[in-house]
Amino acid sequence: MKKTIQLATVFMLALIVSVNAQSRKELKAYYGSQYNVEIQTLGVGNDGTKLFKVWGYAKKAEGAAIEAKRNAISAAIFKGIPAGGGAAPTPALTTDINAEVKHQAFFDEFFKDGGKYLQFVNLSTDASAGGSDSVKMKKGYKVAVAVSINFVALRKYLEESGVIRKLDSGF
Amino acid sequence: MRKIISTIAITLVAISLFGQAKKPTIMVVPSDQYCISRGYAMEYDNMGSKITLPDYKAALQNDLELKLIISKMSGIMADRGFPLKDLEQELKNLATQSAEMSMLESKSSGSGIAESPIDALKRTAKSDIIMDLSFEVKKVGPKKYVSFILNGLDAYTSKNVASAAGAGQPSSAAQTEILLEEAVLAYMDEFNGRLMSFFEDAFEKGREVKIRIKMFQNMDFDLESEYNDDELSEHIENWMADHAVNGRYNTQDATENFMQFEQVRIPMLNEKGRAVDARGWIRDLQKYLKDDPFMIESKLYMRGLGEAWLILGEK
Repeated sequence: MKKTIQLATVFMLALIVSVNAQSRKELKAYYGSQYNVEIQTLGVGNDGTKLFKVWGYAKKAEGAAIEAKRNAISAAIFKGIPAGGGAAPTPALTTDINAEVKHQAFFDEFFKDGGKYLQFVNLSTDASAGGSDSVKMKKGYKVAVAVSINFVALRKYLEESGVIRKLDSGF
Repeated sequence: MRKIISTIAITLVAISLFGQAKKPTIMVVPSDQYCISRGYAMEYDNMGSKITLPDYKAALQNDLELKLIISKMSGIMADRGFPLKDLEQELKNLATQSAEMSMLESKSSGSGIAESPIDALKRTAKSDIIMDLSFEVKKVGPKKYVSFILNGLDAYTSKNVASAAGAGQPSSAAQTEILLEEAVLAYMDEFNGRLMSFFEDAFEKGREVKIRIKMFQNMDFDLESEYNDDELSEHIENWMADHAVNGRYNTQDATENFMQFEQVRIPMLNEKGRAVDARGWIRDLQKYLKDDPFMIESKLYMRGLGEAWLILGEK
């Protein structure tokens, strides 16, 4: 009886660890996730741009900075940019909540390592990220990057690719 | 149910094949508060009571800050596929048009252009969506900031379809022009996001319009007259229920002389894939009433894309 209880306990622990590891993996790999993007708007960007600070996570600080840039574009497309620094909130470029599923092939290509998304990141501070913007965690780094993204060009690219609707589509 | 499904299917097919609904026009108009508080106002005596109205011409001729903001907004909206109607140009056009109308005559008989008092009244600057704008440069100690209010108003339903408002970051260094530009950049994406939702709603549930049924005087029937045991007003309501998208409409008010329908949802395109406005849509009711058993003549009066009147009794 005692042996059965011990075996059951070991099995339950293994199951919990495996489910947790699986969910963490999915969370980190999922570019459209609304849960792993932290943003702080820094101010009103120049014409056609958005200026904000965004966080990324990775084993190395450099990787976290790259992840942050991807998060910046992902947030502009799927989540929207919150108000702050005198700027009003910017709604997400896609109004369809299932856009990432409907256009999965497009987004997989767009967000791949070194993908086209980088074309819309104008300016970032990843080279000098340090101090309070680079936090050493148990299994890696959490790094904040101040980015300026070319929001208008990104919107036009997604419109031309048929991923989002134009304001005047249908008219 | 089958009718609803077939209507939706026809609309979707029409959108995919033709897909060109009537595009609303948009114009930026300074708010009454903005004009009057800065002295761009006209006053007149209306039978003893003083009426104050905004003087747009004076505002546009004298206020450089207003022109700067309108110009910036026009650029952004043109980029989004909605070039704005320019209020100043529209006012100039109207003045020129009036002068030309009064001078124009035919070569053979010297006849002038026919114009009823209503035609003359209709010659005003108008658009389907009005971007009602207010802003003010305020001071906190040595710092300046811009307070900004932008409301998108549907000219027919009077509904606020999109809005953005707030105050910018105070700055002691930035010039007023920079702060004004920053205000436009800060709020336009939020405004356009809401405008997008409004258009998506119109394509999904139909364009919202206002319909009025009126009577000419001294007719030998009214809206309470009975045809096939039902009052004329009931027949009209039944027609509205059958033809509005998903039967959506609201009878705002009704007497024996008039009926007022609001929140009437009409399709953006008809079954032939042609764009529909309130006038085109209500023309079918005009034809319905002209037939047996009603045999009623009527006059169709248009008030822009989103409002039409059907006046029963005569042409």
